[in-house]
Amino acid sequence: MATTERPQGRPLADRLYDFTVNNRVWRSIIRTGYPNTPRNQMLAVATNVFLHLHPTRIHRTHVKITHTYCLGGLSFFLFLGLTITGVLLMFYYVPSVERAYQDMQALQTDVRFGMLMRNTHRWMAHGMVITVLMHMMRVFYTGAYKPPREFNWIVGVVLLVLTLLLSFTGYLLPWDELAFWAITVGTNMIGSDPVLGEVNQFVMIGGFEVGQNALIRFYTLHVVGLPLIAAIFMAVHFWRIRRDGGLARPL
Amino acid sequence: MVADAPARGPSRSRGAVPSARPRRQREEELLVWPDLVFVEFISALVFTLTFVALAILINAPLQDRANPANTPNPSKAPWYFLNLQELLLHMHPALAGVIVPTVFLIILGAVPFFDTSNEGQGQWLSTPRAWPNLIVGFIVGTVGTWALIIYNSGKHIVVFERFTFDADSFDNFPPLIVDERLREWPESLNWLTSVRALQTDIAWPGELETIPLGETFVRTDLLGLPRGSIQWNFPAWIVEQAIPVNLMVGLPILLCLVAWRLGLAKTRRDFMILMFSGWLGSYLALTMAGTYFRGEGLELLWPWEVRPAES
Ligand code: HEM
Repeated sequence: MATTERPQGRPLADRLYDFTVNNRVWRSIIRTGYPNTPRNQMLAVATNVFLHLHPTRIHRTHVKITHTYCLGGLSFFLFLGLTITGVLLMFYYVPSVERAYQDMQALQTDVRFGMLMRNTHRWMAHGMVITVLMHMMRVFYTGAYKPPREFNWIVGVVLLVLTLLLSFTGYLLPWDELAFWAITVGTNMIGSDPVLGEVNQFVMIGGFEVGQNALIRFYTLHVVGLPLIAAIFMAVHFWRIRRDGGLARPL
Repeated sequence: MVADAPARGPSRSRGAVPSARPRRQREEELLVWPDLVFVEFISALVFTLTFVALAILINAPLQDRANPANTPNPSKAPWYFLNLQELLLHMHPALAGVIVPTVFLIILGAVPFFDTSNEGQGQWLSTPRAWPNLIVGFIVGTVGTWALIIYNSGKHIVVFERFTFDADSFDNFPPLIVDERLREWPESLNWLTSVRALQTDIAWPGELETIPLGETFVRTDLLGLPRGSIQWNFPAWIVEQAIPVNLMVGLPILLCLVAWRLGLAKTRRDFMILMFSGWLGSYLALTMAGTYFRGEGLELLWPWEVRPAES
Protein backbone atom coordinates (compact mmCIF):
# COMPACT_ATOMS: atom_id res chain seq x y z
CA MET A 1 0.00 0.00 0.00
CA ALA A 2 1.64 3.06 -1.25
CA THR A 3 0.78 5.83 1.00
CA THR A 4 2.83 8.92 1.17
CA GLU A 5 2.74 10.24 4.62
CA ARG A 6 2.25 13.93 4.62
CA PRO A 7 4.01 15.81 7.33
CA GLN A 8 1.83 16.76 10.22
CA GLY A 9 2.33 20.44 10.70
CA ARG A 10 4.66 22.78 8.85
CA PRO A 11 8.34 22.86 9.92
CA LEU A 12 9.14 24.85 13.03
CA ALA A 13 11.28 27.35 11.15
CA ASP A 14 8.38 28.20 8.87
CA ARG A 15 6.06 28.71 11.75
CA LEU A 16 8.57 30.92 13.53
CA TYR A 17 9.04 32.95 10.38
CA ASP A 18 5.32 33.43 10.03
CA PHE A 19 4.99 34.35 13.64
CA THR A 20 7.65 37.07 13.43
CA VAL A 21 6.72 38.46 10.06
CA ASN A 22 2.97 38.20 9.86
CA ASN A 23 1.97 40.66 12.50
CA ARG A 24 1.08 44.29 12.46
CA VAL A 25 4.25 45.54 14.10
CA TRP A 26 6.66 43.90 11.65
CA ARG A 27 4.48 44.78 8.71
CA SER A 28 4.44 48.39 9.80
CA ILE A 29 8.23 48.46 9.48
CA ILE A 30 8.74 46.27 6.45
CA ARG A 31 5.67 46.22 4.32
CA THR A 32 6.50 43.32 2.05
CA GLY A 33 7.42 39.72 2.68
CA TYR A 34 10.74 38.24 1.64
CA PRO A 35 11.39 39.48 -1.89
CA ASN A 36 11.57 36.32 -3.95
CA THR A 37 10.74 37.49 -7.41
CA PRO A 38 13.29 39.51 -9.39
CA ARG A 39 10.89 42.41 -9.52
CA ASN A 40 10.44 42.47 -5.78
CA GLN A 41 14.16 42.05 -5.21
CA MET A 42 14.87 45.12 -7.30
CA LEU A 43 12.18 47.01 -5.45
CA ALA A 44 13.68 45.91 -2.14
CA VAL A 45 16.96 47.54 -3.10
CA ALA A 46 15.50 50.62 -4.72
CA THR A 47 13.05 51.50 -1.97
CA ASN A 48 15.16 50.79 1.08
CA VAL A 49 16.96 53.82 2.43
CA PHE A 50 20.09 51.85 3.34
CA LEU A 51 20.24 49.77 0.20
CA HIS A 52 19.32 52.37 -2.37
CA LEU A 53 22.91 53.51 -2.77
CA HIS A 54 23.22 50.33 -4.80
CA PRO A 55 21.96 49.90 -8.30
CA THR A 56 19.30 47.21 -8.60
CA ARG A 57 21.34 45.12 -10.97
CA ILE A 58 25.04 44.67 -11.24
CA HIS A 59 27.39 43.08 -13.71
CA ARG A 60 28.34 39.55 -12.74
CA THR A 61 32.10 40.18 -12.70
CA HIS A 62 31.64 42.85 -10.04
CA VAL A 63 30.11 40.44 -7.56
CA LYS A 64 33.26 38.34 -7.68
CA ILE A 65 35.27 39.00 -4.55
CA THR A 66 38.49 39.02 -6.53
CA HIS A 67 37.42 42.02 -8.58
CA THR A 68 37.27 44.53 -5.71
CA TYR A 69 38.22 42.42 -2.69
CA CYS A 70 35.45 44.52 -1.12
CA LEU A 71 38.12 47.05 -0.25
CA GLY A 72 36.10 50.22 -0.82
CA GLY A 73 33.16 48.70 0.97
CA LEU A 74 35.40 47.66 3.85
CA SER A 75 36.83 51.16 4.12
CA PHE A 76 33.30 52.46 4.43
CA PHE A 77 32.41 49.72 6.86
CA LEU A 78 35.41 50.61 9.02
CA PHE A 79 34.36 54.25 8.88
CA LEU A 80 30.97 53.24 10.27
CA GLY A 81 32.55 51.04 12.93
CA LEU A 82 34.86 53.89 13.92
CA THR A 83 31.90 56.23 14.22
CA ILE A 84 30.08 53.84 16.55
CA THR A 85 33.06 53.03 18.78
CA GLY A 86 34.12 56.68 18.62
CA VAL A 87 30.78 57.91 19.94
CA LEU A 88 31.06 55.44 22.81
CA LEU A 89 34.58 56.66 23.59
CA MET A 90 33.34 60.26 23.65
CA PHE A 91 31.18 59.44 26.66
CA TYR A 92 34.28 58.92 28.76
CA TYR A 93 36.77 61.37 27.36
CA VAL A 94 37.29 65.02 28.19
CA PRO A 95 39.71 66.83 25.88
CA SER A 96 41.66 68.72 28.48
CA VAL A 97 45.35 68.38 29.17
CA GLU A 98 44.59 67.75 32.84
CA ARG A 99 42.02 65.04 32.28
CA ALA A 100 42.65 63.36 28.95
CA TYR A 101 45.29 60.89 30.10
CA GLN A 102 43.44 60.13 33.32
CA ASP A 103 40.29 59.47 31.31
CA MET A 104 42.13 57.03 29.12
CA GLN A 105 43.38 55.13 32.14
CA ALA A 106 39.95 55.12 33.71
CA LEU A 107 38.47 53.95 30.44
CA GLN A 108 40.82 51.00 30.40
CA THR A 109 40.46 49.98 34.00
CA ASP A 110 37.11 51.21 35.36
CA VAL A 111 34.78 51.22 32.41
CA ARG A 112 33.16 47.92 31.54
CA PHE A 113 34.30 46.93 28.02
CA GLY A 114 36.25 50.20 27.93
CA MET A 115 39.47 48.52 26.86
CA LEU A 116 37.62 46.54 24.20
CA MET A 117 36.07 49.73 22.86
CA ARG A 118 39.36 51.58 22.76
CA ASN A 119 41.16 48.65 21.13
CA THR A 120 38.48 48.23 18.50
CA HIS A 121 38.62 51.92 17.68
CA ARG A 122 42.40 51.90 17.46
CA TRP A 123 42.74 48.80 15.30
CA MET A 124 39.92 49.86 13.03
CA ALA A 125 41.66 53.21 12.52
CA HIS A 126 44.89 51.50 11.47
CA GLY A 127 42.83 49.07 9.41
CA MET A 128 41.12 51.87 7.55
CA VAL A 129 44.39 53.49 6.51
CA ILE A 130 45.46 50.12 5.12
CA THR A 131 42.19 49.27 3.36
CA VAL A 132 41.97 52.73 1.78
CA LEU A 133 45.52 52.42 0.43
CA MET A 134 44.77 48.93 -0.85
CA HIS A 135 41.50 50.12 -2.37
CA MET A 136 43.45 52.76 -4.25
CA MET A 137 45.84 50.10 -5.49
CA ARG A 138 42.99 47.89 -6.69
CA VAL A 139 41.35 50.85 -8.46
CA PHE A 140 44.64 51.68 -10.11
CA TYR A 141 45.53 48.18 -11.24
CA THR A 142 42.04 47.49 -12.59
CA GLY A 143 42.33 50.70 -14.61
CA ALA A 144 39.14 51.97 -12.99
CA TYR A 145 40.25 55.62 -12.91
CA LYS A 146 39.88 55.99 -16.66
CA PRO A 147 37.21 58.16 -18.26
CA PRO A 148 34.48 58.77 -17.18
CA ARG A 149 35.74 58.11 -13.65
CA GLU A 150 38.47 60.76 -13.45
CA PHE A 151 36.56 62.85 -10.99
CA ASN A 152 35.81 59.95 -8.70
CA TRP A 153 39.52 59.19 -8.57
CA ILE A 154 40.12 62.76 -7.41
CA VAL A 155 37.36 62.43 -4.81
CA GLY A 156 39.18 59.28 -3.75
CA VAL A 157 42.48 61.13 -3.34
CA VAL A 158 40.69 63.64 -1.11
CA LEU A 159 39.25 60.74 0.89
CA LEU A 160 42.73 59.29 1.29
CA VAL A 161 44.00 62.57 2.69
CA LEU A 162 40.98 62.84 4.99
CA THR A 163 41.54 59.31 6.24
CA LEU A 164 45.16 60.11 7.10
CA LEU A 165 44.13 63.35 8.81
CA LEU A 166 41.43 61.59 10.81
CA SER A 167 43.94 59.07 11.99
CA PHE A 168 46.55 61.72 12.73
CA THR A 169 44.19 63.94 14.75
CA GLY A 170 43.03 60.94 16.76
CA TYR A 171 46.61 60.01 17.57
CA LEU A 172 47.05 62.97 19.92
CA LEU A 173 43.97 62.38 22.05
CA PRO A 174 45.31 59.80 24.58
CA TRP A 175 47.84 62.46 25.62
CA ASP A 176 50.55 59.94 26.39
CA GLU A 177 54.19 60.17 25.39
CA LEU A 178 53.59 58.38 22.11
CA ALA A 179 50.76 60.75 21.20
CA PHE A 180 52.52 63.90 22.24
CA TRP A 181 55.79 63.25 20.45
CA ALA A 182 54.23 61.79 17.33
CA ILE A 183 52.16 64.93 16.90
CA THR A 184 55.12 67.13 17.78
CA VAL A 185 57.28 65.44 15.15
CA GLY A 186 54.42 65.49 12.63
CA THR A 187 53.55 69.14 13.05
CA ASN A 188 57.21 70.15 13.11
CA MET A 189 57.44 68.65 9.65
CA ILE A 190 54.83 71.13 8.50
CA GLY A 191 56.48 73.91 10.43
CA SER A 192 59.78 73.38 8.69
CA ASP A 193 58.60 74.92 5.45
CA PRO A 194 60.43 78.26 5.36
CA VAL A 195 57.67 80.17 3.62
CA LEU A 196 54.36 79.40 5.31
CA GLY A 197 55.42 76.61 7.64
CA GLU A 198 55.42 78.54 10.86
CA VAL A 199 52.07 80.11 10.16
CA ASN A 200 50.57 76.74 9.24
CA GLN A 201 51.97 75.06 12.29
CA PHE A 202 50.71 77.85 14.51
CA VAL A 203 47.24 77.54 13.06
CA MET A 204 47.26 73.76 13.39
CA ILE A 205 48.33 73.52 16.99
CA GLY A 206 47.11 76.90 18.16
CA GLY A 207 50.43 77.98 19.57
CA PHE A 208 54.11 77.35 19.39
CA GLU A 209 54.01 73.91 20.93
CA VAL A 210 51.57 71.08 21.38
CA GLY A 211 49.38 71.91 24.36
CA GLN A 212 45.78 72.50 25.36
CA ASN A 213 45.01 74.51 22.23
CA ALA A 214 46.33 71.76 20.02
CA LEU A 215 44.37 69.15 21.94
CA ILE A 216 41.04 70.92 21.58
CA ARG A 217 41.67 71.64 17.91
CA PHE A 218 42.60 68.07 17.13
CA TYR A 219 39.67 66.79 19.18
CA THR A 220 37.12 68.98 17.45
CA LEU A 221 38.45 68.12 14.03
CA HIS A 222 38.63 64.46 14.93
CA VAL A 223 35.11 64.03 16.25
CA VAL A 224 33.15 66.55 14.18
CA GLY A 225 34.96 68.41 11.44
CA LEU A 226 36.79 65.72 9.53
CA PRO A 227 34.14 62.97 9.84
CA LEU A 228 31.56 65.39 8.48
CA ILE A 229 33.72 66.35 5.53
CA ALA A 230 34.63 62.71 4.94
CA ALA A 231 30.97 61.70 5.01
CA ILE A 232 30.15 64.35 2.42
CA PHE A 233 32.96 63.20 0.16
CA MET A 234 31.92 59.58 0.60
CA ALA A 235 28.37 60.46 -0.40
CA VAL A 236 29.73 62.11 -3.53
CA HIS A 237 32.05 59.14 -4.14
CA PHE A 238 29.20 56.62 -3.98
CA TRP A 239 26.86 58.80 -5.98
CA ARG A 240 29.47 59.17 -8.69
CA ILE A 241 29.94 55.41 -8.91
CA ARG A 242 26.25 55.16 -9.86
CA ARG A 243 26.42 58.15 -12.18
CA ASP A 244 29.46 56.76 -13.95
CA GLY A 245 27.53 53.60 -14.75
CA GLY A 246 28.61 51.34 -11.91
CA LEU A 247 32.06 49.90 -11.58
CA ALA A 248 34.43 50.06 -14.51
CA ARG A 249 34.29 47.32 -17.10
CA PRO A 250 36.21 46.71 -20.31
CA LEU A 251 34.63 48.64 -23.14
CA MET B 1 13.95 44.39 -22.43
CA VAL B 2 15.88 45.89 -25.28
CA ALA B 3 18.97 43.81 -25.11
CA ASP B 4 20.54 45.28 -28.19
CA ALA B 5 19.77 48.91 -27.58
CA PRO B 6 22.30 51.12 -29.33
CA ALA B 7 25.34 51.98 -27.30
CA ARG B 8 24.98 55.25 -25.50
CA GLY B 9 28.64 55.57 -24.67
CA PRO B 10 31.49 56.70 -26.84
CA SER B 11 32.88 54.42 -29.44
CA ARG B 12 36.57 53.72 -29.06
CA SER B 13 37.46 56.21 -31.72
CA ARG B 14 36.06 59.07 -29.64
CA GLY B 15 38.71 58.12 -27.15
CA ALA B 16 38.83 60.28 -24.11
CA VAL B 17 35.39 61.86 -24.21
CA PRO B 18 33.89 61.08 -20.82
CA SER B 19 30.43 59.65 -20.94
CA ALA B 20 28.46 56.75 -19.54
CA ARG B 21 29.26 53.37 -20.96
CA PRO B 22 27.10 51.39 -23.35
CA ARG B 23 23.91 49.81 -22.11
CA ARG B 24 24.80 46.46 -20.71
CA GLN B 25 23.51 43.10 -21.72
CA ARG B 26 20.92 42.04 -19.21
CA GLU B 27 21.96 38.39 -19.19
CA GLU B 28 25.35 39.41 -17.86
CA GLU B 29 23.81 41.01 -14.83
CA LEU B 30 22.85 39.78 -11.42
CA LEU B 31 20.41 41.24 -8.98
CA VAL B 32 21.93 43.22 -6.16
CA TRP B 33 19.53 41.51 -3.80
CA PRO B 34 20.50 38.82 -2.96
CA ASP B 35 23.85 38.44 -4.75
CA LEU B 36 25.69 41.58 -3.71
CA VAL B 37 23.90 42.24 -0.44
CA PHE B 38 24.85 38.74 0.63
CA VAL B 39 28.56 39.24 -0.12
CA GLU B 40 28.53 42.57 1.67
CA PHE B 41 26.80 41.10 4.67
CA ILE B 42 29.24 38.24 4.96
CA SER B 43 32.32 40.44 4.61
CA ALA B 44 30.96 42.90 7.17
CA LEU B 45 30.39 39.99 9.53
CA VAL B 46 33.85 38.54 8.98
CA PHE B 47 35.47 41.92 9.48
CA THR B 48 33.51 42.70 12.64
CA LEU B 49 34.55 39.38 14.12
CA THR B 50 38.16 39.88 13.05
CA PHE B 51 38.37 43.29 14.66
CA VAL B 52 36.65 42.25 17.85
CA ALA B 53 39.03 39.29 18.08
CA LEU B 54 41.98 41.58 17.44
CA ALA B 55 40.72 43.99 20.09
CA ILE B 56 40.40 41.18 22.61
CA LEU B 57 43.86 39.83 21.85
CA ILE B 58 45.97 42.95 21.49
CA ASN B 59 45.73 46.05 23.61
CA ALA B 60 46.21 49.51 22.16
CA PRO B 61 49.34 51.08 23.61
CA LEU B 62 49.11 53.64 26.37
CA GLN B 63 52.46 54.93 27.53
CA ASP B 64 53.23 57.36 30.34
CA ARG B 65 51.51 60.67 30.48
CA ALA B 66 52.88 63.18 27.98
CA ASN B 67 55.78 65.14 29.34
CA PRO B 68 56.92 67.95 27.06
CA ALA B 69 60.12 68.27 29.10
CA ASN B 70 61.72 65.01 28.02
CA THR B 71 62.01 63.97 24.44
CA PRO B 72 62.07 60.23 23.82
CA ASN B 73 64.81 59.00 21.55
CA PRO B 74 63.90 58.17 18.82
CA SER B 75 60.69 60.13 18.60
CA LYS B 76 58.64 59.03 15.68
CA ALA B 77 55.49 60.13 13.88
CA PRO B 78 52.61 57.64 13.37
CA TRP B 79 53.64 54.81 11.07
CA TYR B 80 51.83 56.13 8.00
CA PHE B 81 53.94 59.30 8.18
CA LEU B 82 57.22 57.56 8.82
CA ASN B 83 57.89 57.56 5.08
CA LEU B 84 57.94 61.35 5.21
CA GLN B 85 60.00 61.32 8.38
CA GLU B 86 62.48 59.09 6.58
CA LEU B 87 62.62 61.50 3.64
CA LEU B 88 63.26 64.27 6.13
CA LEU B 89 66.60 62.70 6.99
CA HIS B 90 67.80 63.05 3.44
CA MET B 91 66.78 66.50 2.30
CA HIS B 92 65.61 69.96 3.22
CA PRO B 93 62.66 69.79 5.64
CA ALA B 94 60.46 71.99 3.49
CA LEU B 95 60.99 69.59 0.62
CA ALA B 96 60.28 66.42 2.57
CA GLY B 97 57.55 67.75 4.81
CA VAL B 98 55.54 69.92 2.47
CA ILE B 99 56.60 70.10 -1.15
CA VAL B 100 57.05 66.39 -1.91
CA PRO B 101 53.72 65.30 -0.38
CA THR B 102 51.84 68.17 -2.00
CA VAL B 103 53.32 67.63 -5.42
CA PHE B 104 52.80 63.90 -5.03
CA LEU B 105 49.10 64.29 -4.23
CA ILE B 106 48.62 66.59 -7.19
CA ILE B 107 50.32 64.12 -9.51
CA LEU B 108 48.29 61.26 -8.02
CA GLY B 109 45.07 63.17 -8.61
CA ALA B 110 46.18 63.87 -12.15
CA VAL B 111 46.73 60.20 -13.05
CA PRO B 112 43.45 59.90 -15.02
CA PHE B 113 44.40 62.96 -17.03
CA PHE B 114 47.76 61.54 -18.10
CA ASP B 115 46.28 58.20 -19.01
CA THR B 116 43.08 58.96 -20.84
CA SER B 117 42.66 55.90 -23.01
CA ASN B 118 40.25 53.12 -22.16
CA GLU B 119 42.97 50.54 -22.52
CA GLY B 120 42.82 47.89 -19.82
CA GLN B 121 39.88 49.47 -18.09
CA GLY B 122 37.91 47.54 -15.51
CA GLN B 123 40.02 44.39 -15.46
CA TRP B 124 42.95 43.42 -13.33
CA LEU B 125 46.19 44.17 -15.18
CA SER B 126 44.75 43.13 -18.50
CA THR B 127 47.02 44.99 -20.90
CA PRO B 128 49.77 42.98 -22.57
CA ARG B 129 52.75 44.42 -20.68
CA ALA B 130 50.99 45.14 -17.40
CA TRP B 131 52.72 42.54 -15.25
CA PRO B 132 56.28 43.14 -16.47
CA ASN B 133 55.84 46.86 -15.86
CA LEU B 134 54.43 46.24 -12.40
CA ILE B 135 57.25 43.93 -11.43
CA VAL B 136 60.05 46.04 -12.88
CA GLY B 137 58.60 49.24 -11.41
CA PHE B 138 58.16 47.72 -7.99
CA ILE B 139 61.60 46.17 -7.86
CA VAL B 140 63.39 49.25 -9.16
CA GLY B 141 61.46 51.44 -6.72
CA THR B 142 62.21 49.22 -3.74
CA VAL B 143 65.84 48.47 -4.51
CA GLY B 144 66.60 51.99 -5.69
CA THR B 145 65.12 53.60 -2.60
CA TRP B 146 66.95 51.21 -0.29
CA ALA B 147 70.18 51.79 -2.15
CA LEU B 148 69.84 55.54 -1.73
CA ILE B 149 68.92 55.22 1.96
CA ILE B 150 71.86 52.92 2.62
CA TYR B 151 74.26 55.08 0.67
CA ASN B 152 73.17 58.26 2.37
CA SER B 153 73.48 56.68 5.80
CA GLY B 154 77.11 55.91 5.10
CA LYS B 155 76.55 52.16 5.34
CA HIS B 156 78.48 51.45 2.18
CA ILE B 157 81.61 52.21 4.15
CA VAL B 158 80.82 49.42 6.57
CA VAL B 159 80.23 47.13 3.63
CA PHE B 160 83.49 48.23 2.06
CA GLU B 161 85.41 47.52 5.23
CA ARG B 162 83.70 44.29 6.21
CA PHE B 163 83.75 42.66 2.85
CA THR B 164 87.38 43.18 2.08
CA PHE B 165 88.78 39.87 0.99
CA ASP B 166 91.12 38.24 3.46
CA ALA B 167 93.15 35.25 2.34
CA ASP B 168 94.02 34.14 5.86
CA SER B 169 90.48 33.61 6.89
CA PHE B 170 89.83 31.23 4.07
CA ASP B 171 89.10 28.51 6.60
CA ASN B 172 86.11 30.52 7.61
CA PHE B 173 83.27 30.74 5.27
CA PRO B 174 82.43 33.32 4.10
CA PRO B 175 86.00 34.64 3.98
CA LEU B 176 85.18 37.96 5.49
CA ILE B 177 86.89 39.89 8.16
CA VAL B 178 84.65 41.02 10.90
CA ASP B 179 86.84 42.03 13.79
CA GLU B 180 90.06 43.08 12.25
CA ARG B 181 89.64 45.68 9.58
CA LEU B 182 91.94 45.13 6.64
CA ARG B 183 91.25 48.41 5.06
CA GLU B 184 89.81 51.67 6.30
CA TRP B 185 87.59 53.86 4.18
CA PRO B 186 90.19 56.08 2.49
CA GLU B 187 90.15 59.58 3.86
CA SER B 188 90.56 61.11 0.44
CA LEU B 189 87.14 59.75 -0.40
CA ASN B 190 85.40 61.18 2.63
CA TRP B 191 83.36 63.52 0.49
CA LEU B 192 81.68 60.43 -0.96
CA THR B 193 80.40 59.05 2.34
CA SER B 194 76.97 60.63 2.02
CA VAL B 195 75.24 63.43 0.22
CA ARG B 196 75.77 65.65 3.23
CA ALA B 197 79.52 64.97 3.05
CA LEU B 198 79.59 66.89 -0.20
CA GLN B 199 78.91 69.95 1.89
CA THR B 200 81.09 69.18 4.88
CA ASP B 201 84.08 67.40 3.35
CA ILE B 202 84.77 69.63 0.42
CA ALA B 203 86.59 72.88 1.04
CA TRP B 204 84.00 75.22 -0.41
CA PRO B 205 85.18 78.80 -0.79
CA GLY B 206 83.63 80.83 2.01
CA GLU B 207 81.90 83.23 -0.35
CA LEU B 208 79.77 80.44 -1.73
CA GLU B 209 78.24 79.81 1.65
CA THR B 210 76.97 83.30 2.08
CA ILE B 211 75.90 84.63 -1.27
CA PRO B 212 73.86 87.72 -0.53
CA LEU B 213 70.55 87.70 -2.37
CA GLY B 214 69.55 91.05 -1.00
CA GLU B 215 66.11 92.10 0.02
CA THR B 216 64.31 91.74 -3.26
CA PHE B 217 63.61 88.04 -3.13
CA VAL B 218 61.79 87.70 0.14
CA ARG B 219 59.00 90.23 0.49
CA THR B 220 57.94 89.26 3.97
CA ASP B 221 57.03 92.90 4.48
CA LEU B 222 53.97 92.21 2.33
CA LEU B 223 52.76 89.85 5.04
CA GLY B 224 53.27 92.49 7.69
CA LEU B 225 56.45 90.84 8.96
CA PRO B 226 59.88 92.44 9.17
CA ARG B 227 61.59 92.59 5.86
CA GLY B 228 64.16 89.85 5.56
CA SER B 229 67.29 89.73 3.55
CA ILE B 230 68.65 86.33 2.76
CA GLN B 231 71.98 84.83 2.21
CA TRP B 232 72.22 81.87 -0.02
CA ASN B 233 74.27 78.93 1.19
CA PHE B 234 75.15 77.37 -2.12
CA PRO B 235 76.70 74.07 -0.90
CA ALA B 236 73.77 73.50 1.44
CA TRP B 237 71.38 74.21 -1.39
CA ILE B 238 73.11 71.68 -3.59
CA VAL B 239 72.96 69.02 -0.90
CA GLU B 240 69.53 69.62 0.56
CA GLN B 241 67.60 70.64 -2.49
CA ALA B 242 69.25 70.35 -5.86
CA ILE B 243 70.44 66.76 -5.54
CA PRO B 244 67.26 65.36 -3.94
CA VAL B 245 64.96 67.12 -6.41
CA ASN B 246 67.06 65.99 -9.33
CA LEU B 247 67.02 62.41 -8.10
CA MET B 248 63.30 62.36 -7.35
CA VAL B 249 62.44 63.80 -10.74
CA GLY B 250 65.29 62.39 -12.74
CA LEU B 251 65.33 58.75 -11.70
CA PRO B 252 61.66 58.11 -12.60
CA ILE B 253 62.21 59.81 -15.95
CA LEU B 254 65.31 57.72 -16.48
CA LEU B 255 63.35 54.59 -15.67
CA CYS B 256 60.68 55.59 -18.17
CA LEU B 257 63.27 56.23 -20.84
CA VAL B 258 65.00 52.93 -20.30
CA ALA B 259 61.68 51.06 -20.26
CA TRP B 260 60.72 52.80 -23.46
CA ARG B 261 63.97 52.02 -25.21
CA LEU B 262 63.75 48.39 -24.12
CA GLY B 263 60.19 48.14 -25.39
CA LEU B 264 58.92 47.37 -21.91
CA ALA B 265 56.59 50.34 -21.81
CA LYS B 266 54.83 51.49 -24.94
CA THR B 267 51.44 52.92 -24.10
CA ARG B 268 50.50 55.47 -21.48
CA ARG B 269 48.94 52.75 -19.38
CA ASP B 270 52.31 50.97 -19.38
CA PHE B 271 54.08 54.08 -18.14
CA MET B 272 51.39 54.64 -15.53
CA ILE B 273 51.77 51.11 -14.19
CA LEU B 274 55.54 51.46 -14.20
CA MET B 275 55.46 54.75 -12.30
CA PHE B 276 52.71 53.79 -9.88
CA SER B 277 54.44 50.51 -9.01
CA GLY B 278 57.73 52.32 -8.67
CA TRP B 279 56.13 54.76 -6.26
CA LEU B 280 54.58 51.87 -4.35
CA GLY B 281 57.94 50.13 -3.94
CA SER B 282 59.61 53.34 -2.90
CA TYR B 283 56.80 54.23 -0.49
CA LEU B 284 56.95 50.82 1.15
CA ALA B 285 60.75 50.98 1.39
CA LEU B 286 60.61 54.40 3.05
CA THR B 287 57.88 53.29 5.45
CA MET B 288 59.77 50.11 6.36
CA ALA B 289 63.04 51.98 6.83
CA GLY B 290 61.35 54.58 9.02
CA THR B 291 59.42 52.01 11.03
CA TYR B 292 61.80 49.13 11.59
CA PHE B 293 65.28 50.32 10.74
CA ARG B 294 65.60 53.62 12.56
CA GLY B 295 66.79 53.43 16.11
CA GLU B 296 68.22 55.84 18.60
CA GLY B 297 69.12 59.16 17.03
CA LEU B 298 67.33 57.88 13.91
CA GLU B 299 70.42 55.86 13.11
CA LEU B 300 70.01 53.20 10.43
CA LEU B 301 70.15 49.83 12.22
CA TRP B 302 68.96 46.28 11.80
CA PRO B 303 65.44 45.80 13.14
CA TRP B 304 66.73 43.58 15.95
CA GLU B 305 69.11 46.30 17.05
CA VAL B 306 66.38 48.90 17.29
CA ARG B 307 65.33 49.36 20.90
CA PRO B 308 62.06 50.98 21.90
CA ALA B 309 62.32 54.66 22.63
CA GLU B 310 63.83 55.72 25.92
CA SER B 311 63.16 59.05 27.36
C1 HEM C 1 37.51 56.62 2.77
C2 HEM C 1 37.94 56.18 1.68
C3 HEM C 1 37.17 55.46 0.57
C4 HEM C 1 35.96 54.79 0.60
C5 HEM C 1 35.06 54.56 1.81
C6 HEM C 1 35.72 54.32 -0.74
C7 HEM C 1 34.63 53.55 -1.11
C8 HEM C 1 34.45 53.00 -2.37
C9 HEM C 1 33.52 51.96 -2.70
C10 HEM C 1 32.58 51.28 -1.71
C11 HEM C 1 33.66 51.68 -4.02
C12 HEM C 1 32.92 50.58 -4.79
C13 HEM C 1 33.85 49.52 -5.31
C14 HEM C 1 34.81 48.92 -4.35
O1 HEM C 1 34.42 48.56 -3.23
O2 HEM C 1 35.99 48.80 -4.71
C15 HEM C 1 34.64 52.60 -4.55
C16 HEM C 1 35.04 52.69 -5.86
C17 HEM C 1 35.99 53.58 -6.35
N1 HEM C 1 36.90 54.29 -5.59
FE1 HEM C 1 36.80 54.52 -3.59
N2 HEM C 1 36.76 54.72 -1.57
C18 HEM C 1 37.66 55.41 -0.80
C19 HEM C 1 38.86 55.93 -1.21
C20 HEM C 1 39.28 55.97 -2.53
C21 HEM C 1 40.59 56.36 -2.98
C22 HEM C 1 41.75 56.73 -2.06
C23 HEM C 1 40.57 56.30 -4.35
C24 HEM C 1 41.67 56.63 -5.34
C25 HEM C 1 42.58 57.48 -5.22
C26 HEM C 1 39.25 55.88 -4.76
C27 HEM C 1 38.81 55.74 -6.06
C28 HEM C 1 37.71 55.00 -6.44
C29 HEM C 1 37.28 54.80 -7.80
C30 HEM C 1 37.91 55.43 -9.07
C31 HEM C 1 36.19 53.91 -7.76
C32 HEM C 1 35.43 53.31 -8.93
C33 HEM C 1 36.02 51.94 -9.15
C34 HEM C 1 35.45 51.20 -10.32
O3 HEM C 1 34.70 51.78 -11.10
O4 HEM C 1 35.78 50.00 -10.44
N3 HEM C 1 38.50 55.66 -3.64
N4 HEM C 1 35.13 53.40 -3.51
